[in-house]
Amino acid sequence: MKAETLSGIVGSLCGDHSVVATPSVVCSVGKLLEHADELYRRSSVTTASRVALSGLSALSLMTGLVAFDGKVEAMLLLPVALDEATFDRLIASAGCTHLMDADGIRTLPNCLAGDTEFNVEGTQWLLATSGTTGTPKLICHTLASITRSVKRDRTKGAHFVWGLLYETSRFAGLQVVLQALFSGSLLIASESSEFDSQIEAFVRHGVNALSATPSLWRKMLMDARIKACPLRQITLGGEIADQQILDALRRSFPAARIVHIYASTEAGVAFSVNDCCAGFPAAWLRSEHSPIPLRIRDDGHLLIKPAKLPDGQEIARRLDADGYLDTTDIVYVEGDRVFFSGRASGAINVGGNKVIPEFVEQHLRCVDGVLDVHVFGKKNSIIGQLVAVKVVARSGVDTALLRGAIIGYCKVHLEKWQIPGVIFFVAELKESMAGKRERVV
Amino acid sequence: MSMKDKIIAIIQELAAESGWKIVSDLNYETVLLESGLDSLGFAILVARLEEELRYDPFTMMDEPFYPRTLGEFVAIYERYAS
Repeated sequence: MKAETLSGIVGSLCGDHSVVATPSVVCSVGKLLEHADELYRRSSVTTASRVALSGLSALSLMTGLVAFDGKVEAMLLLPVALDEATFDRLIASAGCTHLMDADGIRTLPNCLAGDTEFNVEGTQWLLATSGTTGTPKLICHTLASITRSVKRDRTKGAHFVWGLLYETSRFAGLQVVLQALFSGSLLIASESSEFDSQIEAFVRHGVNALSATPSLWRKMLMDARIKACPLRQITLGGEIADQQILDALRRSFPAARIVHIYASTEAGVAFSVNDCCAGFPAAWLRSEHSPIPLRIRDDGHLLIKPAKLPDGQEIARRLDADGYLDTTDIVYVEGDRVFFSGRASGAINVGGNKVIPEFVEQHLRCVDGVLDVHVFGKKNSIIGQLVAVKVVARSGVDTALLRGAIIGYCKVHLEKWQIPGVIFFVAELKESMAGKRERVV
Repeated sequence: MSMKDKIIAIIQELAAESGWKIVSDLNYETVLLESGLDSLGFAILVARLEEELRYDPFTMMDEPFYPRTLGEFVAIYERYAS
């Protein structure tokens, strides 16, 4: 059977149906298909082409996806804010032959075969993992694997207006875009990633379905304008959803269905929880009504076994003998629930942004007056976790001045969310029993 | 020192350390997200207050509420002060 294509899905919707609205344009199915067709004909791609998509607005990216899915060998979706070296490395690794950006599509000179081989049916959707270690890896999805949990009910879908808050080229943003396309819902995509204009657009268009991280939901509740949106579908993901945010959303939007999803670029959507309680039912570990097979390894790692996983080495090396994928998330059981406590790697999740402690430590050691440092995640009720650091100062150094020097250095060299929000000065750093320093508090 | 003064002093201290541009006239009506604090800054403020006051009311509320104004924020801390 020939694999489904995105243009086929969109083409089966009524031509004058509106699919996406931005502040400057409302685009119908007919227009989207027309633009996609034009782009395809202009692009000189073949079934052997591998197209990188970079720096595109939501509407342009959707046009590209509709134009090329099913017609090229691979599409590489590059996240925004990549440094030049990573950008070049990912394009080379994926063996891209073309690049589509805000200036249009062009053939890449000197393209070589990539160093990654994937064996899938249909066009490869290559996504980069959000590794902040400087080495994001390519994960190979297909339209089928990436839309595994996307609903296709168009009768229900016609009543939904989805708001897009996430970056479109990442997994979470694609889920929203594809959900809207597959179920024939209107998508409201602001042209700016600025919070104010996004919220204004959502209120103006009466958005009633929205997906965001718990931290972003807290911000929206503080801002309060979102309460003017008649929300019926609330999705949380990308971070641990605590009971406080679930309760606050239920109080603010009593009529909404509230779902927190457990998903990653690597594994896709593993499962979703809709009982408004943090964590997930422990009964799922005993296969009682479990959406997918789940296990907890002796060291607390959550293992999952989705029906279909992306292809490639990155996934294969994380499977155990029974085909379970190591999520590298640490969980614990309390009563009849399983709760998430953090990442095995010690990676810190600051409002959905992943921070690698070792990376921050390397930088902090460059600050004059710092003898030793230990970076860890400190639980925070507003943004999930904050980067915290214990600093051993060189003797005789004024710690108040050193605090200023550390912050000053970080502001130049690090992203905002990587800068330690909590700095403790200590006389010495203690090792844990295992000789490792604890990464989570 | 009143809770309001204590919180404003800490906001100003953090702003001076981190170079945040905070509105000069912080008062009960100040909308938090328009005060110059973004949600990361607000998270850092809550963490610093937890160090100083030894509690985080946002983990203690039976009916979770996210404040819009500085006045609402101060009231939450006053309510949970033991």
